[in-house]
Amino acid sequence: MPEQTITLDVFRYRPDEDERSTIQSYDVPYYEHWVILDALNWIKDHVDGTLSFRWSCRMGVCGSCGMMINGDPKLTCAAFLKDYFPRAIRVEPLVNFPVERDLVIVMDDFMSKLTSVKPWLIRDDTRPMEEELLQSPSQLAAYKQFSMCINCLLCYAACPELDGDPDFLGPAAIALAHRYNLDSRDQGTAERQDILGAEEGVWGCALVGECTAVCPKNVDPAGAIQQAKVAVTKDWYKRLLLPWGKR
Amino acid sequence: MSHLTKTNEAFWWSLFSAGGVMAALFLPVMIFVTGFVLPFMMGEDVESQRDRMVSLVTFWPVRIALFGIIFLSSFHCAHRIRHVLMDFGLRWAGVALMICCYGAAAAGAVAAGLILVRL
Repeated sequence: MPEQTITLDVFRYRPDEDERSTIQSYDVPYYEHWVILDALNWIKDHVDGTLSFRWSCRMGVCGSCGMMINGDPKLTCAAFLKDYFPRAIRVEPLVNFPVERDLVIVMDDFMSKLTSVKPWLIRDDTRPMEEELLQSPSQLAAYKQFSMCINCLLCYAACPELDGDPDFLGPAAIALAHRYNLDSRDQGTAERQDILGAEEGVWGCALVGECTAVCPKNVDPAGAIQQAKVAVTKDWYKRLLLPWGKR
Repeated sequence: MSHLTKTNEAFWWSLFSAGGVMAALFLPVMIFVTGFVLPFMMGEDVESQRDRMVSLVTFWPVRIALFGIIFLSSFHCAHRIRHVLMDFGLRWAGVALMICCYGAAAAGAVAAGLILVRL
């Protein structure tokens, strides 16, 4: 164990035991190469096995370990202790979500929003599955950035609009809907347009841009929402001016 | 998502968006040209300055351009104010807020249009 330690003030809530949440402090060994997730795992292994949190890959791919670090949404596998040392680090569950237990949030509402935008390739032809759907590099480039989302939900915790309007579809779900709308192999834009064009869809966004600022994969959800607003607006005028036309 | 609310926000947003271009690009240029460049070029005789500015503004393409800039910039402003007020907790005011904000923008645009026509 190194001589230096760092304090983690961790949000605790055990619904079977606690009436309300508390903050519990742990002194953790300080290593320059440790991330906050390492420190949480050290607490779980050596101090308090009841501490609950989600994690998996430890390398910014799975999107499981998002938490509020000193009030900012971050992936704990990418937040180094050395960036906070020697001050204490406050670790809390992502805001804008109900808490299941300790640092674990309830994701049901997000999962329902995500599936509602049908984030998969929709085809209206009966082409055999074996047949390839070829794409040019420029067709791939059109949506690739938005396909990098790992559903870590940092953007939902950062979004001030979700705080005021919990029904808002949210940055990641809209970015993924837009990703499939931009995909040359997809034919499901019309099926996604009703939800994107609803009050709970793209119009819930006032372009604050915090989602893009916190995104660990540089997806730029705010940019996706702006592009989706243009697409939805074109569709709205098309429906107004050509009500008989095919969308 | 259990419920979806239909909206014509696309219409208001298109005015906001077009107004944003006007307010960011054309409005500053217009203020600079009509407020500084032309008066400096026209000499110090205030009477003749006024006459020349009126003759410029009464040229129909200029009238239309000015009206477009004022009309769209007003709706840009109204839309932004409406959303700021919604974020401040007036989301419940819904239609009333729309009437106040867009109504003020429409009134301003009509007034600007009347002034431009009567010049």
